[in-house]
Amino acid sequence: MMNNLQRIQPPVFPVEKVIIPEAKSYRLNNGVPVYTIEAGTEDIMRLEFVFKAGQIKESLPLLGSTCNIMLSEGSQNYTSEELNRSLDFYGVFLNQSAEKDYAGIVLFFLSKHIEKVMELSREILFRPVFPEPELNSLMIKRLRWYMVNREKVQNLAMDNFFESLFGKNHPYGYQVHEQDFEMITPSLLADFHNKYYTPENMTIIISGKIHDKTTDHLNSYFGNMTMKEIKKENSVNFIKGEKIKKVHIYKSDTVQTAIRIGSATINKRHADYPGLKILNSILGGYFGSRLMKNIREEKGYTYGINATLTSLDLTGYKVISTEVGQKYCQKTKDEIYKEIRLLQNVPVKNEEMAVVRNYMSGEMVRMFDGPFALAESFKSVWEFGLDNNYYYRLSEKIKTIDPDEIIELAKTYYNIDELYEITVGSE
Amino acid sequence: MINYKRFSLDNGLRVLVHEDKSTPLIAMNLLYDVGSRDEDPTMTGQAHLFEHLMFGGSVNIPDFDTPLQLVGGENNAFTSNDITNYYLTVPSENIETGFWLESDRMLELDFSQKNLDTQKSVVTEEFNQRYLNQPYGDAILKLRPLAYKVHPYRWPTIGMDMAHIKNTSLEQIKKFFFSHYAPNNAILALTGNIEYELAYKLAQKWFGPIEKRTVQSRNLPAEPEQNEARIMTIESDVPSTALYKVWHIGARNSNDFYTLDLITDLLAGGESGRLYTKLVREKKLFSEINAYLTADIDPGLIIVNGKLMKGVDIHYANDSVNEVINSLLNKNGIEDEMEKVKNKFESSTVFSNTSILNKAANLSFFELLGNAGLINNEVDAYRKVSYSIVTDAIRKYFIPSNCSTINYISTRKEK
Repeated sequence: MMNNLQRIQPPVFPVEKVIIPEAKSYRLNNGVPVYTIEAGTEDIMRLEFVFKAGQIKESLPLLGSTCNIMLSEGSQNYTSEELNRSLDFYGVFLNQSAEKDYAGIVLFFLSKHIEKVMELSREILFRPVFPEPELNSLMIKRLRWYMVNREKVQNLAMDNFFESLFGKNHPYGYQVHEQDFEMITPSLLADFHNKYYTPENMTIIISGKIHDKTTDHLNSYFGNMTMKEIKKENSVNFIKGEKIKKVHIYKSDTVQTAIRIGSATINKRHADYPGLKILNSILGGYFGSRLMKNIREEKGYTYGINATLTSLDLTGYKVISTEVGQKYCQKTKDEIYKEIRLLQNVPVKNEEMAVVRNYMSGEMVRMFDGPFALAESFKSVWEFGLDNNYYYRLSEKIKTIDPDEIIELAKTYYNIDELYEITVGSE
Repeated sequence: MINYKRFSLDNGLRVLVHEDKSTPLIAMNLLYDVGSRDEDPTMTGQAHLFEHLMFGGSVNIPDFDTPLQLVGGENNAFTSNDITNYYLTVPSENIETGFWLESDRMLELDFSQKNLDTQKSVVTEEFNQRYLNQPYGDAILKLRPLAYKVHPYRWPTIGMDMAHIKNTSLEQIKKFFFSHYAPNNAILALTGNIEYELAYKLAQKWFGPIEKRTVQSRNLPAEPEQNEARIMTIESDVPSTALYKVWHIGARNSNDFYTLDLITDLLAGGESGRLYTKLVREKKLFSEINAYLTADIDPGLIIVNGKLMKGVDIHYANDSVNEVINSLLNKNGIEDEMEKVKNKFESSTVFSNTSILNKAANLSFFELLGNAGLINNEVDAYRKVSYSIVTDAIRKYFIPSNCSTINYISTRKEK
């Protein structure tokens, strides 16, 4: 009978083993590597061009990001306005990004427009002219954005956090200052572009319902460019964290204080990384995490708190981030350290292990759902010279990690004396 | 083309199902036909506060999130002026847990004073984070009561005054629940790796036994026509001066909706939009500028906002915005631009509908508007807009007496 329905949880089925489609790989006529992942139901594609041209390669702050933005501000055959109008006319979405290690562009489009997209991509990537008027107005705009962003405690805190972790002299760490916006010139951009946006430095990642003619078009637009030999660069720039671990930055008239606590750590290439990922989830990686439950759901100090673990080419970092009411700042910090100590000393109970295991297994299903997610997941291991075995190891670790291993990881990687603590607020 | 089936339970719950076997997941979207427009003006922010309480446990389930995480699921919710929308995704084999959870909190919440007190504090911090601790964060709080004098859209979803949140009692919360949360006031959509038959069976099993409730009827005061320009000046220590302009438009279901959507795309759809091209790129008056519709169910707003470059006079910036809008009345080159925004709309609709969550949310929302089939007709409706319809709409809506403006002046001295 309906009315006698027992409102208890229905049977819980283990989340099926994740199946990850392997990317196919081939090379263009000139040797440029291409990876393709066929997926999805709609006639759409995601096309990404990746270059090792991130901040790590820049000789001046803002050089890498400005070069990337300026790619679409005018080319040999198109003005900036014509380029943008043409992309819009074909319903193409263009994302440009320059991160710490890699930079490039991603285009999302209806598969039938593939040839136009290739033509525009070549203009953007290999024929930019870096016109001075566009550069000047971009830098004025970027300075405006910068001024607005530096008003926000969360941005100030994050900028200072990176500086403390990676040092004032390393591209991972240094902060941008107002005068930096005056230093970038068209010739600096052209030099940076010549050096790093080159076919030998490029990888192409394609996913979606891939058009039959894709390889032909890739070869005719990108396969004829000559490849030069890549010279090994001797990196002399070492990462060196600041000595002072606790920094408070005074910012007047704020109602909330931003807190960032964390440190440099291992990256994806390290065998402990999957385990650390799980530890991070338990601490602050999902809505049911300890920090979220304690500091938001139990105490109401904040709208949100989370812990993230990020891999970079030369290192990794972990950070706990939150914005809390001014009066809760000290109490929140105390609770964060308390939660870390608990993980170092008290085994996680089986019930909680079951929740985090299954949540993370579900998360892995979401990471490989659909053509866009697949491409992003592929890229995030490819960047480290890894392949899907990383995901299989993570999946296995999620199923098998035991509470003692969590304690060991917490002791090894969350030594409280080594954590940086950055706060920004008016007290 | 998004195929879907629909059915209703005896208690009035409407259900939509769309099968997409290409994903191992199912998305479940439960829309309640209640938003901040349904609040008492002396007790604003309740609908949104209530959304927070919906995660604090229900009559048979002490904690909503944990059992869902235990089956690999993930969830969230949002509240708008019009609706409160709850959604989750879960690996398909565990969809029944989603039904169990959502039906239990429709059945009855665990009304606890402790949970209410905590969530009042969380919402206050959310208010601080979003509106007070950001430069320009309060502009939208000031803009609403400038544009609306009578209609409940005059207050923001989070509430017009945090004292309203502070003063909310457990009794009021209970009353709010039973007068708005009901099967006959909700729409459920399931998309992804689910068959219609299973959706039907599970909906009957878990939602079927919940009784129909008496839903508080909606009788909102209509906003009278605005007949003079409204201008407000705010001075604040922000990095640069900003301009906010809004014009009243018709309801979401009115014929003009897609016309106005197209107009905002002509103005600000990407970097080739007219406002960006003329005022950012050419005249360098703004560092950024945007235009969009609020997309509210009752008559909403067109919003144009931008941040000025240093030294630009706000009145000149304002006149220049009006000039760009009026330039759309000149036929030169407009056909190409219209074709461009139509193509872009089509492509963004295709992209949006690759996500099962978006499909579930859209199906529920369009069903609320009266026709879930709109999910397949939007591109057509947008494509049908002709140039003469555009010019008529510009002449009708973009008139000074229909406009409210905030001049958000930076008082900062620059070096």
